[in-house]
Amino acid sequence: MTFSLLHATDFADRLLYKIIPPLKAGMIVLADRYAYTAFARDATRGVDRQWVRELYSFAVRPDLALYFRVPIDTSVDRLLARRVKLKFYESGMDLGWSTNPVESFRMFQGKVLDEYDQLVTEFGLEVIDAAGSITDQQRVVRNVIAQHVQITRMELSDDEPI
Amino acid sequence: MTSPSDAQPPAAPAENGGGANGDGLAGRYYGRSIPYLPLEGYPGKLIAIEGTDGVGRSTQIQLLREWLEVRGYGVVETGWTRSMLMQPTIELAKASNTLNKLTFVLLYATDFADRLEKEIIPALKAGFVVLSDRYIFTALARAGVRGVDRLWLRNLYGFAIAPHMVFYLNVDVKTLIGRVLASRGMDFWESGMDLKHGDDIYDSFRAYQNKLLREYSSMADEFHFRVVDARRPVDRIQDELRKNVAAFLEPAERPADRSAEGLVFQR
Repeated sequence: MTFSLLHATDFADRLLYKIIPPLKAGMIVLADRYAYTAFARDATRGVDRQWVRELYSFAVRPDLALYFRVPIDTSVDRLLARRVKLKFYESGMDLGWSTNPVESFRMFQGKVLDEYDQLVTEFGLEVIDAAGSITDQQRVVRNVIAQHVQITRMELSDDEPI
Repeated sequence: MTSPSDAQPPAAPAENGGGANGDGLAGRYYGRSIPYLPLEGYPGKLIAIEGTDGVGRSTQIQLLREWLEVRGYGVVETGWTRSMLMQPTIELAKASNTLNKLTFVLLYATDFADRLEKEIIPALKAGFVVLSDRYIFTALARAGVRGVDRLWLRNLYGFAIAPHMVFYLNVDVKTLIGRVLASRGMDFWESGMDLKHGDDIYDSFRAYQNKLLREYSSMADEFHFRVVDARRPVDRIQDELRKNVAAFLEPAERPADRSAEGLVFQR
């Protein structure tokens, strides 16, 4: 519960300082992870799913939410190729499922991925196949975003310069 | 961010049964539970002492604790923002002037969750009487006054355990002002200076505490407060608390003796 609430506090702080002001100014906000991360992770930790959704009801609903999906093996391989040590909470070591960090990561994140799959239908997340190359993924992402945003149009300020 | 498909009404407290608290919920979760911590017939009892700043809660709790311990009860105390995890963070955040009403509420809720999991539930499981100096009602009152959605707050604190008894130490603002000035003086948060009623701390304190008291009173029925007139002398208040606590704890402690007495009387 405290894990969930601390993240919600952090989220509320960023929402009010970093997300809402630029939205009011008409800017595009790119959020690396959003409330969906909490929905998936907290549920895996055994927190009531509906409670977490109600907790985050103060969040702004994104205009578009992309979910980069990879099989758990790809995820493990990528992390191990890059990093020496898996993080304690990222591996769900706090749950005590396994004393082996890699094994624990596989079990925990595997369950997190299952939760994400449910979120895709519940919240209409746009799924991006993240097993492919960076260039392929970026092409897909740009296509999806282009359908939602008129990027070519430059908005000039209405205010007169002083 | 509830999805439209499963937008359902919040968990309404079950109004059946009749616990000591009068609402049948005593000792159980108010709303959506903590699924990994089921509460099953724990022997301990949770008693909350509520009331605004400077009303005399800690004095009463100290006296109540001594009295309970002399009578052989194991007593554990818990108090607002006293969690190991959150106390330093909350102090830091209050000093930094970056808190808004939402992060304020969530920090308090985190502190409460930590104490619930680490102090309150284990103590109830082990059969202690838990005396809580303030409970979620303080959070509900403070946030309510600051305009946070009341339904959202009640859902948030759905994981709280309904106390077996809630004593609300009720006082009027005039008496309160006298007491606070006579002891430690008015402080920034207790005066609601963040609400920007003005620069005058006295006026702000009066306006803010007035609103808080109204908010507390509005919860009295909803959460089955036992309202105690806290304008009286310390020992009079203590007598009332003890009488109520004794009436609740003793039959619960010795159910066998009681049924035996009943049989004798019937003959």
